[in-house]
Amino acid sequence: MNLTRRQFIRNVSVAGGALTLGFQLTGCSEEPLLLGSETDFRPNAFLRIDTDGTVTLQIPKAEMGQGIVTGMVTLVAEELELDPAAIRYEMAPVHSAFADPEMRLQITGGSASIRVYYDILRQVGASARETLVVAAMNQTGLARDALQASNGIVISSNRGGVRIPYGELVPEARTLPAVTGVMLKPASELKLIGRYEQRVDAEVKSNGTAQFGIDIAPEGCLTAVLLRCPWFDGAVESFDAAAASGMPGVAGVFATEHGVAVVADGYWPARQAAAKVNVRFTPPLDGMRDSAAITAAMAAALDGDDFASVRDEPGTGPEDGTLVQARYEVPFLAHAPMEPLNATCRLTAGGCEVWVGTQAPDVARDAASRVLGVPREAVVIHNQFLGGGFGRRAAADNVAEVVAIARELERPVKLVWSREDDIRHDWYRPAMAGQIQARVGAGGDVSHWRHRIVGPSINQQVLPKLAGTMLPQWVPAGATALAGKLAAGKDFASVEGAKELPYNFAGINVEYHNLPVPVPLGYWRSVGHSHTAFVVESFVDELAHSAGLCPLAFRLRYLAEDSRERRVLDAVAEAANWGKAAPGRFQGLAVHASFHSVVAEVVEISLEDGKPRLEHVYCAVDCGQVINPDIVRDQMIGGIVFALSAALYGEITLKDGAVEQGNYHDYPVLRQNEVPPMTVVLLDSDAPPTGVGEPGTPPAAPALANALFAATGVRQRRLPLRLS
Amino acid sequence: MIAFTLNGGDVSLEIDPQTPLLWALRDNLRLTGTKFGCGMGLCGACTVHLDGAAVRSCSLPLAAVAGKAVTTIEGLGGEHPLQRAWVEHNVPQCGYCQSGQIMSAAALLAANPAPDEASIRQAMAGNLCRCGTYHKVQRAILSVATVAHWEPAVEGEA
Repeated sequence: MNLTRRQFIRNVSVAGGALTLGFQLTGCSEEPLLLGSETDFRPNAFLRIDTDGTVTLQIPKAEMGQGIVTGMVTLVAEELELDPAAIRYEMAPVHSAFADPEMRLQITGGSASIRVYYDILRQVGASARETLVVAAMNQTGLARDALQASNGIVISSNRGGVRIPYGELVPEARTLPAVTGVMLKPASELKLIGRYEQRVDAEVKSNGTAQFGIDIAPEGCLTAVLLRCPWFDGAVESFDAAAASGMPGVAGVFATEHGVAVVADGYWPARQAAAKVNVRFTPPLDGMRDSAAITAAMAAALDGDDFASVRDEPGTGPEDGTLVQARYEVPFLAHAPMEPLNATCRLTAGGCEVWVGTQAPDVARDAASRVLGVPREAVVIHNQFLGGGFGRRAAADNVAEVVAIARELERPVKLVWSREDDIRHDWYRPAMAGQIQARVGAGGDVSHWRHRIVGPSINQQVLPKLAGTMLPQWVPAGATALAGKLAAGKDFASVEGAKELPYNFAGINVEYHNLPVPVPLGYWRSVGHSHTAFVVESFVDELAHSAGLCPLAFRLRYLAEDSRERRVLDAVAEAANWGKAAPGRFQGLAVHASFHSVVAEVVEISLEDGKPRLEHVYCAVDCGQVINPDIVRDQMIGGIVFALSAALYGEITLKDGAVEQGNYHDYPVLRQNEVPPMTVVLLDSDAPPTGVGEPGTPPAAPALANALFAATGVRQRRLPLRLS
Repeated sequence: MIAFTLNGGDVSLEIDPQTPLLWALRDNLRLTGTKFGCGMGLCGACTVHLDGAAVRSCSLPLAAVAGKAVTTIEGLGGEHPLQRAWVEHNVPQCGYCQSGQIMSAAALLAANPAPDEASIRQAMAGNLCRCGTYHKVQRAILSVATVAHWEPAVEGEA
């Protein structure tokens, strides 16, 4: 689908003396985005050029470390003929113009940002450039051929000719209809895309001035902490604040629908006072309250026959050959971003303002408006840098909480979660169980692959909440709940990566059983792929060993000649010197496609007194056209570190309905001294760009498990891996 | 009242002396470059210098800094060789842990101007990064090791 055909620049409008270029994306009756529009449509501006030449880009996606600001600025700069560092950027406000063209929400996820905005933002830059050139033509009387844009200036090709900076062209350009449908640069003329390797936000993130949500403090701002029910289905029954209320700096202790809020003139006094509040919560309901019960229920479901088919290609040939079968388990996981959740709210006449680092400002706005019972338009969201997101910040629970607290106060208030709040009240990657069986015939022929997946549906919980944002505000809650129910049976988030098994085995069957649990669930970097890749790529390794074949050769045998999987496998095998590891080194391999990209990884380990040690990780990625090679390498490495942290340590367990872990000592993540060297190979591609934020994550856990098998002969089928 | 030197200037605060330095910096002095990550000295996001040594400000009561010199990321001034190296190597991703990373690295270099890779990995093990910028942190530190000896700011904002 070519987005430029669907979305086009319609006009140029005047806003505060600036040239603004916008897109007409939707047809709803929202207020115009920019004041001062003279036209009969919403300009939905991404770009603004001031008369002093300042170029400002609205960033429609959240910057959580994945480099989206740099990527988007680069796309515009490429066509607008500017240094990316010269473009100012702002986090876009909530507006339908900034909704993801595919998801229809202003949400950052699915590693989609560059993929869906690649053409759009290049067109934004190209259209602005051409309109400025037309302005220069009008001013100079020169023909188009005699002019070109270069580094923020329109110049004429003749010697001693005109040089007009963009800013000086703004008064003329803003009176012109925008030039639309501009031909984008051919690959041979790209100067920044695929070459630019700086990050435009590195400076502010190295000198302490980058502003995250937690750094916000409007005039007179108080700080709140919240005492939440430790189990997920409880509420405040009663509380005693006698000891806390009189403590220094305390401004209030009161119950909200989310827990008991303790408000003070700083985090420390609030936290000190909170320790003195006694809260009684409603008793936990019956049900699966412990990890052991959930694990047992998943095993029982795997023993049963209640499954919905998500892929059904009947096996061909007789059911002979050796039956290979194995069960796998993965735990609940927390996101644990470095910046604990927070949000700041100031009530306004009829609504409120919220400052928060969020992956979904429109979901946040919807949540805030529901708490106050006001129209969405009465809520203003100021998005900030995110101190890590990984999917956690697509939820707006922190926003609903702070607005409910602000509702009771006369001053603005910032809610700050502790790390313990973060670990114990996450929207977790669900625990899942899987069983695969297949037959391996003489000569290694694989047939009758049957993969059964059991676990809770994320979408059953999350989609009704998102649907509430997508649908008009008057749609009743019942209707949005129904959407979630419908989504749960064949939950893509539970089976993605298993359903699309790339190997051409004779007969492939994938089935899913939804097992609801009383635990909040959410999207965790690479979502379903985070567990399906572990199960599938571990089991493929088992099949290779059953067939007596090299795990690489085995995979290649079942991959189409022209498949992207084959390309990345070949590349990673070459980088890792696959099959020729030094003595005492052991390698494991995995390949997985996710978010339209394909990644292969080799994890190399050694054994030290029988204990495995990470030695090197090799990675090859095909993500289509690379925008910023350095950022793509960073994202692969970051995805691998994230995955290995989980594979080695990550486990959230429940006891009496509450999470047992609370901080980085009992929910550890990889540290500087534990991370091995890594090598990343970017495959050349002239295909359009695909995802990079998440695809590095899925292959790492199975590659490590496969390396452990190579080293020890023991197959580990449960995460986190047991290393001793 | 607790008085100390902050980024070269004198400050004094009349707050609970048990208040962790982190919250005094962030909430009372509005220096927000120093970050809250765990509250238990486990993640290093709150690292500052106390008389030149790296400390976890989330676990350090204000009383313990009386009469001493505190340096925060703001006190490095932006032109510290490590900060230039951080930008040059594009170290930050989300950026949240980077103040702490840089402060730990600066203390390391002050104590050992020419650390090798192994000692960098060891010295920086207390600074978590969920984005996985560890390799670049290493590389940036190595790039300035032995290059310069940095003197703390003599003037700074309070």
